[in-house]
Amino acid sequence: MNEIKGNVLRVFPKDVNTDEIISGKYKYDELDIKKLAIHAFEAIDPKFHEDARKVKSPILVASENFGCGSSREQAPLVIKACNISCIIAESFARIFYRNGFNIGMPLIECKDVSKKASQGDGLEIDFSAGTIRNLSKNETYKFKPIPEFMQKLLDAGGLMPYLRKSGGFTE
Amino acid sequence: MGKTMAEKVLSKKSGSDVSPGDLIITPVDLVFAHDGTMPLAIQQMEHGLSKRSVELSKRSVFDPNKVVGVCDHASPSPSEKVSNIHNFMRKFALENRLQFFENGDGICHQIVLERFTAPWKVIIGADSHTCTHGALGAFATGMGSTDVAAIMAYGKTWLKVPESFKVEITGQLPKHVYSKDVILHIIGKITADGATYMSMEFLGNTVDRMGLALRLTMCNMAIEAGAKTGLCKADERVREFLESYGRGKEYAPLAPDKNAAYTDEIAVEAKKLEPMVAFPHKVDNVAPVTQFEDVELDMVCIGTCTNGRIEDLRVAAQILKGKKVAEGTRLIVYPASRDVLLQAIKEGIVEKFLQAGASIGVPGCGFCIGRTVALGDGEVALSTQNRNFRGRMGNDKAEIYLCSPATAAASAITGRITDPRGV
Ligand code: SF4
Repeated sequence: MNEIKGNVLRVFPKDVNTDEIISGKYKYDELDIKKLAIHAFEAIDPKFHEDARKVKSPILVASENFGCGSSREQAPLVIKACNISCIIAESFARIFYRNGFNIGMPLIECKDVSKKASQGDGLEIDFSAGTIRNLSKNETYKFKPIPEFMQKLLDAGGLMPYLRKSGGFTE
Repeated sequence: MGKTMAEKVLSKKSGSDVSPGDLIITPVDLVFAHDGTMPLAIQQMEHGLSKRSVELSKRSVFDPNKVVGVCDHASPSPSEKVSNIHNFMRKFALENRLQFFENGDGICHQIVLERFTAPWKVIIGADSHTCTHGALGAFATGMGSTDVAAIMAYGKTWLKVPESFKVEITGQLPKHVYSKDVILHIIGKITADGATYMSMEFLGNTVDRMGLALRLTMCNMAIEAGAKTGLCKADERVREFLESYGRGKEYAPLAPDKNAAYTDEIAVEAKKLEPMVAFPHKVDNVAPVTQFEDVELDMVCIGTCTNGRIEDLRVAAQILKGKKVAEGTRLIVYPASRDVLLQAIKEGIVEKFLQAGASIGVPGCGFCIGRTVALGDGEVALSTQNRNFRGRMGNDKAEIYLCSPATAAASAITGRITDPRGV
């Protein structure tokens, strides 16, 4: 994965938790992620799922500690199932961060991004340069490069395809 | 440079001298998941590994004795959909001869800790509160279903060695102030991401004097400050606990080196603490119980992997003994496991709860996740659980306050949030 081009669908505040991303009351009933995705962000942003379908290559932007709370992988999975190509946040909760890469969705940590980028902005993310170009505002933001191992996971499409390719965990 | 407890366990496991920030591959001693996460892990294992590979599609779990599945979150199953998902999990468990625990056996963490957790083990659970097990000196952390699928298949995982956050608690806890109040106080101070990615290590003479139940409550909530794991020393108390389950042989001491390098630290003076409450809708909204004494309660809940152990039930039953739950308030008690319920029956605790007007639930997560018990619109609950997120108890128009079992019991009697020191 080298580049992603897309548009900011939402700018979320601090501490968005996994119950807000996908409520625990649904996840025991449904193993089909596409059906579960209809309820993504339902309690805090009822129009999310509908709006995600209207925007071309939607990208999420968030403040600090995005995805805190439970380990439910359904959280990044429903986001991915809403066609989100990438999440850029000031920081992520730990398990959510892992889960994102494991399912092949890049998560980028970028300082002050929720104050700089606005809903609707067009972004161009260059992974090897570690930069985000905001085409709407004509600005460039730097981000921490993605660790090498995580980059390998993204290149393979996630942890399972990575293990399939490499035949297991290799040191 | 000396090592923290997390660094010690991970160095030994991975067979190398690790430092914070190192990316390591480590064998896993125990992996577990529940009905909310295992079905997805099974799907990942079957589809993720099998496509285009016959050899891998036949791959079963790496060691059935080290893989645990528990039906606890939506248990007993409240609907046909959940029953079908339980059956999917049951079938996989049977085919792979996993350690499988049924509806009513208890919460995954309680079951694992009674039967499997021991010092120096690396334990991974597909549940964020897996950090609970650090109270016995294990390196335990929660991961998602794909990570767990990979561990079920290969018995290994990758980890970034965390930096460590030292929590030094000293002195005597006042009457009716418990480790739940301590950890709420700490989370209030350092906030929901104050220890993100770190190993939160609980030290000091207050912790040394605590029984296991109190330590478990603190480690359980380390994740609410963003921590990767919570750890306590493995000492005589841990040995006694293991012996009580016939696992004394699994004991080995663990403590940080004297010159261990902690990235961050907080000191807590136990005698200055009061009973604390976390108010809606974030765990780090914390203030002393006395600030909420006019909050009226529809439901009071005692249980969960945070505070559903026999020690917690004893405290609550003692306060409720001979009293009645206030009219207009419901008290529900969910023992954390079958063993806990049995013990509570033996000690006459269940009787005290029932006489006070409480209802007793089937051991499991119960009210915590809103799957088998839910709140109504505009209702207010006070619970001994670890999260008060909006919608957590099945209704995003309800409010959840968090507290210790003592505060919960005292509040059930009055129907309002009540300071247990006054009862
Ligand atoms: S009791 Fe609550 S926090 Fe604990 S494992 Fe169950 S749902 Fe999670």
